[in-house]
Amino acid sequence: MKRYSAAVAALWLAACASEKKTETPAEKPAPAPASVSGKVVFEGKPPMMPVLKMSEEAACVRLHKAPVRSEEVVVNEGGTLANVFVWVKSGLEGKTFEPAKDSVTIDQRGCTFRPHVIGIRAGQTLVVVNSDPVSHNIHPMPKENREWNQGQAPQTPNLERQFARPEIMIPVKCNVHSWMRSYIGVVDHPYFAVTGEQGAFELKGLPPGEYTVAAWHEKYGTKEQKVTLAPAASQSLDFTFQERGNQP
Amino acid sequence: MSIRKLFRLIPSFALAALLAACGGSKPPAEEPKAPPAPARPIGAAITIQAPLGLPAVPAPAENPATAETIALGRRLYYDKALSIDNTVACASCHDPKFGFTDGKQFSEGVKGQKGDRNAPTVFNAAYATVQFWDGRAPSLEKQAEGPVANPIEMGHTLEGVEKKLSADPSYKAEFEKAYGPGPITYEKVEKAIASFERTVISGNSPFDKFMYGGDQKALSPAAQRGLTIFRDAKKGNCAVCHTIEEKSALFTDNKFHNIGVGVDTKGELTDLGRFKVTKAEADRGAFRTPSLRNIALTGPYMHNGSLKTLKEVVDFYVGGGSSNPQLDKEIKSLDHLTKKERADLEEFLKALTGEIPANVGPPEAR
Ligand code: HEC
Ligand code: HEC
Repeated sequence: MKRYSAAVAALWLAACASEKKTETPAEKPAPAPASVSGKVVFEGKPPMMPVLKMSEEAACVRLHKAPVRSEEVVVNEGGTLANVFVWVKSGLEGKTFEPAKDSVTIDQRGCTFRPHVIGIRAGQTLVVVNSDPVSHNIHPMPKENREWNQGQAPQTPNLERQFARPEIMIPVKCNVHSWMRSYIGVVDHPYFAVTGEQGAFELKGLPPGEYTVAAWHEKYGTKEQKVTLAPAASQSLDFTFQERGNQP
Repeated sequence: MSIRKLFRLIPSFALAALLAACGGSKPPAEEPKAPPAPARPIGAAITIQAPLGLPAVPAPAENPATAETIALGRRLYYDKALSIDNTVACASCHDPKFGFTDGKQFSEGVKGQKGDRNAPTVFNAAYATVQFWDGRAPSLEKQAEGPVANPIEMGHTLEGVEKKLSADPSYKAEFEKAYGPGPITYEKVEKAIASFERTVISGNSPFDKFMYGGDQKALSPAAQRGLTIFRDAKKGNCAVCHTIEEKSALFTDNKFHNIGVGVDTKGELTDLGRFKVTKAEADRGAFRTPSLRNIALTGPYMHNGSLKTLKEVVDFYVGGGSSNPQLDKEIKSLDHLTKKERADLEEFLKALTGEIPANVGPPEAR
């Protein structure tokens, strides 16, 4: 009897071990990844953006042929909205991802932040460049992460910083030039995008499942939609933001 | 029982015996030999006249300045013989042509070696209560030992300099005129250099004429507005550290502050400054407040020479420096200053260029 139970235990252990093994993705082929893509549509009359008060620094004015307008609302020719941060808000909980190998760059150029809206992963390196002939002092103002600011005189080395925790969105200012603004979205996975001149986004390589996808705009706020992704699906998803102020 | 009561109970002879015992068993005859008597200038002490805007020039009791020590110090200050290979003098890094600095981010010493701190001006160093960015030398005399023995500055030894100078009859004569007969010691060298440095005083700037000389026209309207901003705690708040007193202005509190210079690309402090001397946490990245007199002549700026122009300095303060755990609480972003106010502040800094006294340049060839 004793010997029998020992043998059973051994068998059971072996079974368990092998069962565990088959659970690892290496052995079981992962379901074909899916994607979500679409555009961010703007409805209403695009608001007139004010000219930035760059006249406060002559050297900044000289960097531009014409007065620079605020980038708070940038409506593309096709009626889509730029500078919208789109990301998977929920559905990835508990999953871990390969750390990012590349870095994300924010450039202080023409006395503006380029790009205006940035997405980055928690722990990923943000490279801060000063391409201008004047001093800047970048100052992200997070709530969940450590706040910092750093002066960068012209022709000084790039900074390299990380944000440890996810945070939507971190406003960024320049302590020297009050008109400079940018926003950084920090997430703990690789599924995010920022809309550009086409107002489009694509989140690729998502494991099939149910997700909430969200879109954030600095003036129009955040919108969310639920999607269910089958293996290998390419789901389309559009967001719409409306200018309430001047609706017909 | 209190100590005093205890003492009252012990008869005084017993107390005397007790004290003697505490003094140790060594009879006085066995004490180590007293160091040689300090070198003392033999000439008549002279008072160095302070220009408008500066207080009386302090000098230690044991090293009163005399005409002879000042002249000797001046010769030594400009003499490359103080370096191991006769290539570098004090004046190489503290050159009157660049407001007694070298105009470089980092100085070049013997064999072109570079240090990691910016050379401060010798102008008005006499007023500093401690020397160097981190205050590690207690006096001008002690300071003058640093560069000679520093392998990347003058690369020599104090004994080496003594020997070298002793071999020169004209130096021997000059040292005897200053200190009386006796060997040339480095103590005499540093005392003479320090006395010369105490004459490198610069005041009577447009600011001084305006502030202390009653000349309302000495400062341009922009510089006058800049002065107000400089002193106003709600505007520039500069004078909390770069002090201006009722009768004179040193533009330094002689204290150490971390203003967020030298934070590297990863956000770490590269040079721990005063911490290296005190090992106190709060002193990490703290440096002695430099005087701002003649500031227009002494760029680049800060302990690491990281800011090239006064505009960069003003923008640095407007930005609130670079954050780090030890940042001084007086350093905050000044983004409320308008373009005009920032320009006025810069104008004011340019009005701090004073007069250069006679007889501080290289001595005439003999
Ligand atoms: C190779 C360049 C070099 C040479 C040569 C040199 N210095 Fe300096 N000096 C410096 C630098 C750099 C500092 C600042 C170092 C620090 O604070 O750690 C300094 C600091 C000083 C200071 C302190 C000023 C202050 O505000 O704290 C004095 C005074 C001074 N030097 C005088 C001299 C004298 C006198 C000699 C010649 C015996 C000399 N120096 C030689 C580069 C030089
Ligand atoms: C908290 C004290 C403090 C305040 C306030 C302060 N400073 Fe300074 N200042 C310093 C210290 C300390 C340094 C040297 C810092 C270093 O090199 O790390 C310095 C350096 C400077 C320098 C460069 C000097 C040189 O020789 O390299 C200038 C110019 C200057 N300050 C101007 C100003 C002006 C203008 C203001 C007001 C807007 C101001 N400071 C406010 C402490 C202060």
